[in-house]
Amino acid sequence: MFNNLIARAIVPVTIAVTGFVIFGCLLLYTLIKGDMTAEALHHVDGIVETVVRSTHYAMMQDDRDSLRNILANVGTLDGVERIRIYDQDGKPAYTDLEGVTEPGSIAIKVDQWNSPFLMPDHPQRGERQRYVDHSNGFIAVSLPILNEPKCSTAACHFHAEGEPILGFLSTGVSSVRLEKTLALLKTRMIVFCLMVLVLTVGGVAALLRMNLFLPLIRFMYNLQRAAGGARESELPPSDHKLGQMNRDFRSLVRQRDQARDDAAALTSNDRVADERDAPASGGDSSARYGSSETAGSDPYQKV
Amino acid sequence: MAPLKRQVRTRIRRFELLSSAGLWALALFSILSMGAYRDFDMLPTFGAGVRKLLGSGPPVMLINWALIIYGFSALVLILIQMASNKRPRCSLLHLFYLGAFFFFYHFSNGLDENFWALFTVGLTILGLQSYHFWHYYQEQIDEQKEILEELIRLEKDL
Repeated sequence: MFNNLIARAIVPVTIAVTGFVIFGCLLLYTLIKGDMTAEALHHVDGIVETVVRSTHYAMMQDDRDSLRNILANVGTLDGVERIRIYDQDGKPAYTDLEGVTEPGSIAIKVDQWNSPFLMPDHPQRGERQRYVDHSNGFIAVSLPILNEPKCSTAACHFHAEGEPILGFLSTGVSSVRLEKTLALLKTRMIVFCLMVLVLTVGGVAALLRMNLFLPLIRFMYNLQRAAGGARESELPPSDHKLGQMNRDFRSLVRQRDQARDDAAALTSNDRVADERDAPASGGDSSARYGSSETAGSDPYQKV
Repeated sequence: MAPLKRQVRTRIRRFELLSSAGLWALALFSILSMGAYRDFDMLPTFGAGVRKLLGSGPPVMLINWALIIYGFSALVLILIQMASNKRPRCSLLHLFYLGAFFFFYHFSNGLDENFWALFTVGLTILGLQSYHFWHYYQEQIDEQKEILEELIRLEKDL
């Protein structure tokens, strides 16, 4: 009965707490992941902006060696897997690791992702594109290099004034660190979830047992002893956790003891009176009171 | 005595059916979740006109907050119902709300990221509701069974 009662008391709490804690952690993880990804994307945007500004002068001067050097140097930065400048037709003009990339590497994946935006008929060709691939572990940004008045009037240049896009800068940065941090966060959240669950369920179970089930078990034990004939004074002292119920029960047992004492006193008085009368009448008292003695030993057995 | 006994037996059968009502809601939610996991690719997509008419979906952050408030209040309400031993409310209402959340996430392109959170909260709410259904009607069944036993005893005595 108590196991059942404990189960009935703990199951709803367990379901509600477990579900809500897991839900909260999942939602929190999603939010933190979104924030951290946005921050990483902002960092890659910064790299792209830096490259564009650094190469601006070299482009204006048509200094191809400087341009190549800048890209090669940026390409050696930790985490930068691909940095490439495409011409307006979508062909690579300057690249960091040409010929070193392996199939399936991040650089190839960045190129694959980037290729549709280089098409002349792509609707978003003139916009900055961002892409985060958590499963393959990279962040890519593609930025169109727009025509400027200074650019089209430069002596070295061959771009016409009406061409809005002169090329594209494509950058791919490894997000391995971000993924590692997210994996660590996930593990910590799972551990935290388990700890909260164990503490909540264990705490509720312990409190219920201490404050409700143990007093009830003691009460049942007292009830059983009282039903077996034990007097109120023979019962173990009460722990007062059941309050009025326990007091009422003890009061009932006391009343029963009192009634039992009174009945026993009455029976013994009757017996003394009968024994006094017996020599006069000359009857067999033992035969006459045999049944009443048996009944008198416990007058409440019949009740 | 026989019509009374039949009446009690019918009531027991009805309570037995009702005690598993929560499980039906859970099963329906599982089917809905399977569809959502596949981004409802088995359903026809809305045309551009309908999309334009519906407008853009609400921001994902707003749906997240609504989901937190809904999940918390739904769980508290079910626990209060359980504590006061009231007859459980219909689970279909929760199923409707959860379906609406799936719909909004789908239209705001936030279903991929928030699927597991929504699935967990749905499972928790409907699981608790299901437990409440089972527990409440199981008590009713026990009560009816006692009445039935009493009737059988009376019939024998007569």
